[in-house]
This record gives sequence, C-alpha cells and structure tokens, in this order.
Amino acid sequence: MTANILDGIVLGLQFGLLAAGLTLVYGLGGVLNLAYGQMAVVSAIVILFSMNAGLPALPAVLAGLVVGGLAGLLLDGTILRPVYRLHGEARVLLSLLLTLGVAFIVDGFFNWRYPSAGLSLRIGGGPIRILGVPMRAGSLMASAITIVALAALFWFLRSTTLGRAVRSVIEDEEGARLVGIDPHVILRLILTLTGILAALVAVTRSMVAPVTVTAGFGLTVFALIVTVVGGLGSVTGALLAGVILGVVSTIAASEIGTFLSLIILLAAAAITILIRPSGLLGVRG
Amino acid sequence: MLDVRGVVAGYEGGDVVHDINFHVDAGEAVMIIGSNGAGKTTLFRALIGLLPMSSGTVMFEGADITGTPAHLVTRLGISFVPAERRLFPNMSVHENLSLGAYPSRPDPETMSLVMDLFPRLAERRRQRAGTMSGGEQQMLAVGRALMGQPRLLVLDEPTTGLAPKLAAEAYEALGLLCDQGLTVLLAEQQVPLAMALCDRGYVLESGVVRTEGTSAELAENPEVQRAYLGVA
Repeated sequence: MTANILDGIVLGLQFGLLAAGLTLVYGLGGVLNLAYGQMAVVSAIVILFSMNAGLPALPAVLAGLVVGGLAGLLLDGTILRPVYRLHGEARVLLSLLLTLGVAFIVDGFFNWRYPSAGLSLRIGGGPIRILGVPMRAGSLMASAITIVALAALFWFLRSTTLGRAVRSVIEDEEGARLVGIDPHVILRLILTLTGILAALVAVTRSMVAPVTVTAGFGLTVFALIVTVVGGLGSVTGALLAGVILGVVSTIAASEIGTFLSLIILLAAAAITILIRPSGLLGVRG
Repeated sequence: MLDVRGVVAGYEGGDVVHDINFHVDAGEAVMIIGSNGAGKTTLFRALIGLLPMSSGTVMFEGADITGTPAHLVTRLGISFVPAERRLFPNMSVHENLSLGAYPSRPDPETMSLVMDLFPRLAERRRQRAGTMSGGEQQMLAVGRALMGQPRLLVLDEPTTGLAPKLAAEAYEALGLLCDQGLTVLLAEQQVPLAMALCDRGYVLESGVVRTEGTSAELAENPEVQRAYLGVA
C-alpha cells in the first residue's frame, strides 16, 4: 500500500503540473487547449530525434523545452487568432474545436510517419528506499524535477510583478486592463510557459515509462479531469487534485486493474463535481 | 487637460450617448450628473477605451487618445474607478495596491500617501479584498487607481452601494485629493455630494448634455433643483 501511495504521488505531481498549464490558460482567456497532450508529445519526439542524432541528453531536453514553448507561441499566433475575437461560451467552444483539430492532425501525422517512436530517458543508479519502499531512481528524479518546477511556478505567480499580473487577469480581466495590463500579452506569455511545462511533463514521464506518439490524448484527458476536479483557474487546486487523483488511480490500477482505474478516476471526478460544482478550489464558478 | 468632442458611443443595440462635448482643465473637479440610464457609464467607458466609439475625439494633454485601448490609457496618466470597482477579490489589499502601479514596482511614497489617506487599508494590508465591506472596497479601488500616479482620476458613481455616512466619507477623501491638486472627473447620482466637491458640472439626460455650468449656477437652476436636488 505504501508503495502504491508513493507511486501515486509521483504520478499525481506530474498530473498536477500538466493540469496547472491547462487551468492557467483556461482561467486567463477562456481558452480550452485540447492539443495540450500533443504539445508534450511533439517535445518528446524532438528530444528523441535529437538524441538519435547524437546530441547528449541534457541539450536534447533543452531543445525539447524550447520547442514546447514555441508550440504554445505558435498556437497563440495562428489557430487561436479567431478564438480571441469571440467572448464567453463561444470562445470556449471554438478553442475546444480548433485545438482538437490540431490534436488530430498532430496525432495522425506521427502515427503515419513514426508509429513506433517512443521516448524513454533512463536514469542510472539502483533503487533507493523511501519509507521502506524501494523507489526507482527515475521516479525520484521525475518527482524532484516536477517539485522544483511547481515551486518555481508558485514563486512566479506569488512573488513577481508579472505573476501577479497573470493572477489579476484570471480574477478580473477588466480590472486588470484598468491597471494597465494587456490581457492578450499575458495570455501569449502563459501559452508559451505552459508549452514548456508540457515538454517538462513529457521529460519526467519518460523517466518512468516510455512516452509514445499516441500518448497525447491520454495526457490531455488526465489534465482535463484534474483541472475540473481542482477547480478551473486554480493552480493550487490543480496540484491538490493531481496528487489525490494520482494516488486514487495508482491504487485502483494495482488493486483492481488498469482498465477500470480510468473509470474509477472519472467517477472520483464526477463525485467531486457533484459535491463542489466549482471544483476543489475553483476561481471561476 | 481633457477635451471631449462630439463623442457618440453605445452597444450593439444602438448608440447610448450622442454628440457629447465637455472639457476638464488641470486642477479642476468636474461632475457629470444624471439619473440612472442617462449614459454616464457608457460615456466614461468609451473615454477610457473599454468601449469603442462610433465617432468623436478625445484629447488628453494635447494628445489624441481616441480609440486607445484601456490598458494604454491608464499608462498615459488617466486612472478609472468603475462603479463595480473591479478589484481582485482573492488577492490581498497590498497586492491590489501594488498592481495599481503596473508595470512599475509600487512607489513606496505613493503607497504611504494612500495608506495615510485611507488608514483602514493600512490596518488590513493582508486581508483579501473580496472579504472587505463595501466602503473599504471603494477605498481600495480609489487607492489602487492612485498607485498609478494618475494626473486625472475618473470615478463612476463612487458612492454606489455605500450608506450615507460612508458616502460622505468617500467624498471627504476625494476633497483631500483635490486640495492636493489632483484633477478629478466623476459621474454621480447623489448630486448634493458631488456639487459640494466639484467646481463645474454637466447634466446628462437621455444621452445628451442638457445643460452645464458652475456648481453654484447649477444649484440655482430650477430644472436641476427639481430633478436632482429634491426641491419642489
């Protein structure tokens, strides 16, 4: 049981980081990015190919992070342009449809060209015992990176002028404009940042299990469930929900079976929403 | 300082204000009075860049700012306090004030000026804005606007939702700001309060400027007396 809980926390931290990206973009601009998992996959493939071409792991990972950020910037500059002209529900729906289209195209392309590609980053060293449970070095490294990334994200949002500006747009967009903040510039920045986060999730996932070309939708769905449970627009909520659902999912997978674990995850999400419609820590109702 | 000519603005359903002309000189306090639905909010939102104008021009300190988006108007030196305040409810008083100085770091001198003007805000620095009373939120909204060191402060119905005693206090604070030389433009339904503060005013009715004059002249105007001062 302890092993399952520890594994669940490892998975949950990554869920949390993934969902933080989705929830920030939604909270800021009412944009639901369903190509989010594919952004992670694109970064993973870039890292894989860079390493196959002979680049050492660290520069290859950096290249992947840069590509993740550029993917976010590219979404902002192209497919999301018409989305920004709409408001309210229409904006959410159009963003959902267009990014879903992008996701299908990216998925289709990779399945056609590189159907068996998958990124695995091997971290050397034997298992390390935590609370009496042997943990793989890869899992620990993945958790350490994720925790540092989450801490950096919290620090940015809490303690920097730009981070405060990001939160102010989530809380009241018109109020933000009145103090001199351009919501579009903030959204572009955050799309870029969340692209980097998606790439980072690909990197840390690949330390535990291979990230294949078909992993995109799975990542998006997990991020979406965690986002909804955590409350749209709340990074703390995303982290909390990520860890809870990570533990639930891992225990369910080991006690009942992998197939049913997704259903149990969805049930846990549905129950949360029935009890608290705005999620655990939702900003927008 | 502010020169508004021939402004027409409204929403998709049609124009709300028609051919509005007025001006505010440096150091003045000017009021736009009118009943609910006269178009005061629409006019201010258009001036500040929150709402597109159908026609007209707005000059600020000699520069044409017509159609400039709100976040840039703010940086030019005009701070707007809307009736709904538009605070950041889950952020602390201090964070709200700090953001008022965006994109600069908050100026410590301006911060202490705001705290001196509204000692309640100093007491509640760490409290979340959304948990404060209506009067305190109004102080915070004005304080946040002042953090941007504006040369023109524009307020839409600063007494909205305030009990009479708090409304009077809000106007006392505005009076202090005027005495320090800040230029103020405000829209108000509570005409006696605004008249006591402002040098001049314009009466807005059904989207047009019906009459204008100094506060003393308006107070003598029988129509104004009947409609806004409760004189039979």
